Amino acid sequence: MKILISFLIAVTISFASDATIEVIKKVDSLPSLAVEDASVSFSNKFKMKFFRSLVADMNVISLFNVDRSHRTVDYDASEVVYENKDIDYVLRYKLRKDDSGALNIELKILNKNNIVFNKNYKVNNPKIYMFVSHTIAYDINKYMGEPSVEWMKRKVIFSRVVAPKKSELVIADYTLTYQHVVVKGGFNIFPKWANKAQDSFYYTSLDEKKPTLKYVNIRTAKSKIIKSSDGMMICSDVSDNGKKLLLTMAPKGQPDIYLYDVNTRKTKRLTKYGGIDVSGQFVGKEKIVFVSDRLGHPNIFSKEINSHGGVEQMVHYGKSNAACSAFGEYIVYKARESSNAFSRNTFNLHLISTETDFIRRLTAVGVNEFPRFSVDGDAIIFIKNYKAQSSIGIIRLNHNKNYLFPLKYGKVQSMDW
Amino acid sequence: MNSIVISSVVTALLVLSGCSDKEPVVEEKQEIAAESTVEQVTPVETETVPSDEASVMSEDRRYSSASSSMSSIEDGMETIYFDFDKFHIRADMQNRVTNDASIANGAASKYSLKLEGNCDEWGSDEYNFALGLRRSNTVKKSLLAEGVEANRITMVSYGESNPMCTLKTEDCWAKNRRVDFKLLP
Repeated sequence: MKILISFLIAVTISFASDATIEVIKKVDSLPSLAVEDASVSFSNKFKMKFFRSLVADMNVISLFNVDRSHRTVDYDASEVVYENKDIDYVLRYKLRKDDSGALNIELKILNKNNIVFNKNYKVNNPKIYMFVSHTIAYDINKYMGEPSVEWMKRKVIFSRVVAPKKSELVIADYTLTYQHVVVKGGFNIFPKWANKAQDSFYYTSLDEKKPTLKYVNIRTAKSKIIKSSDGMMICSDVSDNGKKLLLTMAPKGQPDIYLYDVNTRKTKRLTKYGGIDVSGQFVGKEKIVFVSDRLGHPNIFSKEINSHGGVEQMVHYGKSNAACSAFGEYIVYKARESSNAFSRNTFNLHLISTETDFIRRLTAVGVNEFPRFSVDGDAIIFIKNYKAQSSIGIIRLNHNKNYLFPLKYGKVQSMDW
Repeated sequence: MNSIVISSVVTALLVLSGCSDKEPVVEEKQEIAAESTVEQVTPVETETVPSDEASVMSEDRRYSSASSSMSSIEDGMETIYFDFDKFHIRADMQNRVTNDASIANGAASKYSLKLEGNCDEWGSDEYNFALGLRRSNTVKKSLLAEGVEANRITMVSYGESNPMCTLKTEDCWAKNRRVDFKLLP
């Protein structure tokens, strides 16, 4: 045991920036934070919703031990409430509705009764209060000098299966508190944001004679057909500039990965193996990783986009690795941990670095799938299905914490953020 | 059929705002922390758009546009079942395929055939959809061998999203690993 610990410490020092082992050095206790509500408008129900959202966000930024007690106070009180006198940081806010019905928020952070941070926020529609809460968390994280959590402000798009062959596409915030159905009726799956601005998306419609890829512009509410294929038609990934797509198509019953040029509408077949090649993901401009059963069971491989051969196996651990997402040197993948379908531990997510041999298991129970790195690689979003409950999970890699946000009904089929 | 519902709220939101070949080492320690912290967050109340189609077993199996004769012919076509993680035709399914091919070449000869591949609940990712497709493709090859014309056959995979049975039992999952036949005008 001592040898193992010594070894881990030695490796930690050698590879201190490796996210697969980063957690080992995070042993310090976190500063405490309490939240004080000084609101003067809105119902108690709304006040509690906002409080819950803010406490959840403060937890997710993983910088504080957050006290969940809801305490009220006058915004201008010179001292924190008595119960919070030993707390390191006190976040105090005031919700106020103005004449136009807009939600105004004054906020400050007290440290030993001194104001160390303050900022005001306003949103015209109070119903989207959760995005203000996420923005506050983003700002406080920035104030604390931590790497950006830009992903907190991004939107998630997911497909929710509500009955056999019936689904809806939903846009939500990352906690699923805000949900807006954008495509309803029919069987539509595998939504994918079309660009970084998140103002349009692709999805697969299975209501046509053949699986069909469609595109929707949210701003104009216009939809158009991109392409159809017999068997399968899925947009697996969109390039950083939005100009290239990786599609899984099976025009002759053979699932392969194709590169699609949005401007010229031309496709180029990238894989030609006689088995299953699916789930292409861009790694930079020259390379893709994908899932293939070319070794007899699904695993993760990579390939240069412009080469004719040169397929490389990327993952050497796991019996059955059927989904992945890549960011820089890191690959997160789904591995089947048990062939017993009734096991509590069936599919888990693992993180590997292509620079080291370490593998980090990121989840422990249930069916965990659809891992997706955030745009900055700081977090991973995934779907967890456990005990008949479908949730979206957020993994903070450098803080070794997972957060789950359950779906009230239906089952998440796939998602993107 | 699909209604695209775009809200101004969405617009408002926009405003707001090289692998090693060495033996790998699995660090088991991480498993503990990953889930133990999940309960830290007080679940946030969610606001959802109510679904008027939440019933899981309410599907009408027939195409609404299908004529009654097409539906009755379709009902005569037998579903092909598969073993776990497999896509070859089992020996006990061979007679079913032969029966389906004879209907396809007889009563259903003026229709197109849609082969719908389905999987059990082992994941909703692309690989599972591909497994469903391989099952459809196996049935297609068997039909071709029995003389059904290739241009009459289309295929689709529904992955795990079209279950016949939603119980968590082995028998139930076996019912979901299947290829269904649909007739198209």
